[in-house]
Amino acid sequence: MLGSWAREAHAVGAPAGTSIDNTAQVTYTVGTVSASASSNTTTVKVAEILDVVVTLQTPSVPVLAGVTRKAMVYRVTNTGNGPETFHLQMTSVIAGDEFDPTAAAPAIYFDTDGSGDLSSGDVPYTAGSNDPVLNADGFVTVFVVNDIPAGVTDGNRGFSRLMAAARTGTGAPGTVFAGQGVGGTDAVAGTTGANGQATGTYLVAGIAVNAVKSQTVADQFGGTRPLPGARINYSIVVSATGTGTATATVFSDNIPANTTYVPGTLRLNNTVLSDAADTDAGDFSSTPTARVRVSLGDLTQASGSQTVQFAVTIN
Amino acid sequence: MFKGLKFIGAIAVIACAFGAPAFAQSQSACAVDLKTTGEIEKEVVNAQGEKTKVLSPADKVIPGTEVIWTVTATNGCKKPADKPVINNPVPEHMTLVPGSVVGAGSDISYSVDGKTFGAIDKLTVTQDGATRPARAEDIRHIRWEFRNSLQPGASAFGRFRAVLN
Repeated sequence: MLGSWAREAHAVGAPAGTSIDNTAQVTYTVGTVSASASSNTTTVKVAEILDVVVTLQTPSVPVLAGVTRKAMVYRVTNTGNGPETFHLQMTSVIAGDEFDPTAAAPAIYFDTDGSGDLSSGDVPYTAGSNDPVLNADGFVTVFVVNDIPAGVTDGNRGFSRLMAAARTGTGAPGTVFAGQGVGGTDAVAGTTGANGQATGTYLVAGIAVNAVKSQTVADQFGGTRPLPGARINYSIVVSATGTGTATATVFSDNIPANTTYVPGTLRLNNTVLSDAADTDAGDFSSTPTARVRVSLGDLTQASGSQTVQFAVTIN
Repeated sequence: MFKGLKFIGAIAVIACAFGAPAFAQSQSACAVDLKTTGEIEKEVVNAQGEKTKVLSPADKVIPGTEVIWTVTATNGCKKPADKPVINNPVPEHMTLVPGSVVGAGSDISYSVDGKTFGAIDKLTVTQDGATRPARAEDIRHIRWEFRNSLQPGASAFGRFRAVLN
């Protein structure tokens, strides 16, 4: 009894349509005879709460001017206590931003393949045709897809919003939809008013920092086999592409397990950097995790590629 | 013949235990009728424009609602019913509202398992191998032990509030 209660406490609430029965007992004695009796059973039906919460799963989505089909990820959760069908809608015409994204056609997709990214297997949403049916506490992952107009500039923001509404009805919390709940109980709009929405942001921040790492192995016998004692020379090319500035970029790389950093091998663009944390851009630290770190400063596409090198030996 | 009579007597006790007062009353044994009601409080504005609370039957409720349960024992026989004790399980999916249990002339005790009854602060539960004091949500039974006999025609009642999970 206790265990089952503990589980229910973490659910949405008692499931809609559940019958809550109450029966009491009385015991007594008359003279020397003991007797007992049960009461009538009083039943209370759990009415259905209509509630939905939409949450944004992606922080602001970085975009470039003129790109198409950029997806924001949302989650629609039925926070009511019964199964419900939800209508979905989106809009990208929202005040407070610098540009309006252009809704793609179609503009709402389900994450059908569960990848978390908009991909070819994902099914578009068609209102009235494949409205999501969610059990209590159930959720569905949805993409809102927009094109980004040409002509937007760095730092511009464009908002886009997903809205979900219970098909049974929406209204101020407490609005009753008589007899429309599970099993003929009443449905009642919950604290969300049975509709929810969330707004995401596209940010024109057309700077992407990429790092490409390569390695060469030199063993102590003049070969290239990764033997204990062999040396691995790493070279990492860091570059920024797009418009804008990646400010105060720091490159950090942990020394791989089972290897040891070779002191004095850290270089930036062929300039040797001391291992100490001092005035030059780089340092090596053995704690808490062995790593090298190089401050690359503000990077733009015009900065060109930055090459970091260091070496380790295999233990 | 004697065996037959005993047999009838046994049926009467069983019938009484399962709450068939009509049949029990036909015997010389006494019958206490027990009735439960579930109500919710609604705020209404009366003729004077004041807000007051009225009780109405709780037939359909949403999670988070407090239901006021009342259990009334009425002695329907001609002899006093001694040591009347009412036991009401807290309904499933409901949590007892602390401090809401009343019952005039009774000693009230609680149980987490229906076996051991006592004051709430004396009860414990074992969770994940550790024992801790019982909380309101652990209480599954309420017991009212009335100090006085229930006189013929008289009623006694217990009441508690529980919130729908």
